[in-house]
Amino acid sequence: MKNEARTITQIRRSMHIRKIIKKTILAIVIYVIAITYFFPILYMFLSGFKTEQQAVKPSLLFSPTLETYKKVLSDPTMIQYLKNSILQVILGTGISLLLGIPVAFALVFGKLKTKESAGKIYLWFITTILLPPVAVLIPLFITYQRLNLKNNPIGLLLAYIGFNTPLAVWLIHSFFSDLPKDIFEAARIDGCSRWQQMVIMAIPLARTGIISAGLIIAVQIWNEFFLSFNLTGNPSATLPVYMSRFREQQGLFVAQLSASSTISILPALILGWMSQKALVKGLTMGAVKE
Amino acid sequence: MGKQNSVAMEPKNTMRFKANNSFKNNRSQKYTDYRYLIPGIVVVAVMTQVPFLITIIFSFIKWNLSRPDIPKVFSGFSNYWFFLKSSEFWQILWQTVEITGISLGLCTFVGFLLALLLDNDVPFINIARTLILGPFFVMSTASGVIWKTTIFNTIFGWYGVFTQKLNITPVDWISYHPVGVIVLLFIWQWMPFFVLILLAGLQGISRDLIDCMHLDGVNWLQGTFLIKLPLISNQVRVAVMLGLVFLIKEFGLILVTTNGGPGKSSYTLPFYVYYQTVYSNQVGRAGALAVITVVLTLVLIRILYKQIKKRSV
Repeated sequence: MKNEARTITQIRRSMHIRKIIKKTILAIVIYVIAITYFFPILYMFLSGFKTEQQAVKPSLLFSPTLETYKKVLSDPTMIQYLKNSILQVILGTGISLLLGIPVAFALVFGKLKTKESAGKIYLWFITTILLPPVAVLIPLFITYQRLNLKNNPIGLLLAYIGFNTPLAVWLIHSFFSDLPKDIFEAARIDGCSRWQQMVIMAIPLARTGIISAGLIIAVQIWNEFFLSFNLTGNPSATLPVYMSRFREQQGLFVAQLSASSTISILPALILGWMSQKALVKGLTMGAVKE
Repeated sequence: MGKQNSVAMEPKNTMRFKANNSFKNNRSQKYTDYRYLIPGIVVVAVMTQVPFLITIIFSFIKWNLSRPDIPKVFSGFSNYWFFLKSSEFWQILWQTVEITGISLGLCTFVGFLLALLLDNDVPFINIARTLILGPFFVMSTASGVIWKTTIFNTIFGWYGVFTQKLNITPVDWISYHPVGVIVLLFIWQWMPFFVLILLAGLQGISRDLIDCMHLDGVNWLQGTFLIKLPLISNQVRVAVMLGLVFLIKEFGLILVTTNGGPGKSSYTLPFYVYYQTVYSNQVGRAGALAVITVVLTLVLIRILYKQIKKRSV
């Protein structure tokens, strides 16, 4: 009897150890893959702290310096592009949300002529998200050239609002759909106007969703290249255009390139990581419910 | 109906008042809610749909931007015909399908495997998830130049250093295998998105079901591809659809890495439209090409959507 009990505990213990070993190996595999996958970005972060001489040959051991960052941030062109990017993100995101929230609200809670019309308008916005930017490039390119909007941030801003309002509608629609409809009905009976229902009730209740939708749109605008590249001149172009200028250089400015791309990437990376949960929810909900 | 009945039972004067009131209420509700829609619809229409309609009109005229002296004339389908009979167009169309198709397939397959791996419960798994998600938020031009200068460069990049250590002659991947390089970078950049959505699906599968699977002695292959994969088919559908939408319009990465070259061997349709608009100044032709691109994209999305929907039902 005693012997048997011992063997059982031994077996249990060895199984437990085997489980731990299995898990450790799994963890190592996961971390190796994750770090390898992230390596190009990681190496870019590090190279920004090198001098140009150090950065010529790839290596991970060096004495860090802020020299390159200082140089990059004192370049007036870089600062100009950075300012343009920030302006586009703030105004573009803000206005897209201002236009998108009422649309999403009316589509979810509003009374339109028929039930189908809300669905039709919603679908129209979705189709606009699918429209590739090449569809609008030519007329905008010619118009902006004629009106000299290429050197004015308003031109690009208008295009961004046009393309991101549907995205705002789509994402916020899914967050509004989650709210219980009864409380809005109750508020209406108590004499709360539609406008009040939206401003006092719907927006605060779906606050986190709206903020994440804003983050997603901000990342979109910050990273957008095609329209910025084709519709702007030097005074109004954004950071992705600045980064594209490094394409001609061959290994001579690795440190400078790394420092500039770190500055360009970091805001989007942070905003993106913050919004990832809402991104999944917004995207899957919106598409599944079609 | 019920409301009218109850109204009819009440005395006459109140009835009129009530009917009036309900009529007013009804009307104001019916029409004021459009106020919320109109600003958004107008802005979106003016900035996206109207330019697209103008593009369609442009595609039927002959118009050279660099020669204002030549009159713009209606030219029927000649702009479309120009592309349909040029072998260059068909080659670029094939390249677009190739690049997008391979990237999409690998993103889905490898993304699914990675999502399975990240679904495990090991310490600090969130750090690993965050790291893998990273490339998705990097602007395409930045990731293009980073890979080009710090990895692929035959002298200054990691690839060059490794080949020197191993005494292999380095190959200039960007010149010799441009499509491969673009596919690789597309996958690096967009796979995190697939992982994100598929992982969310995997985490939505109930614990009980997994426990049942283990009790019933289902092996890994069966469990993964016959049970888990069908359960997250909705997420797969969403990821593939949106992935297609994103991938087919990708432009910056191609511009900074291969610039469409060598020759036109890594052009895709959006890149070709850009080239026609900016360099050849042929508005009509560029318009026709843009329309072809948009129509192909929308048709492809529709086919894919229907196919996947059919299978998942």
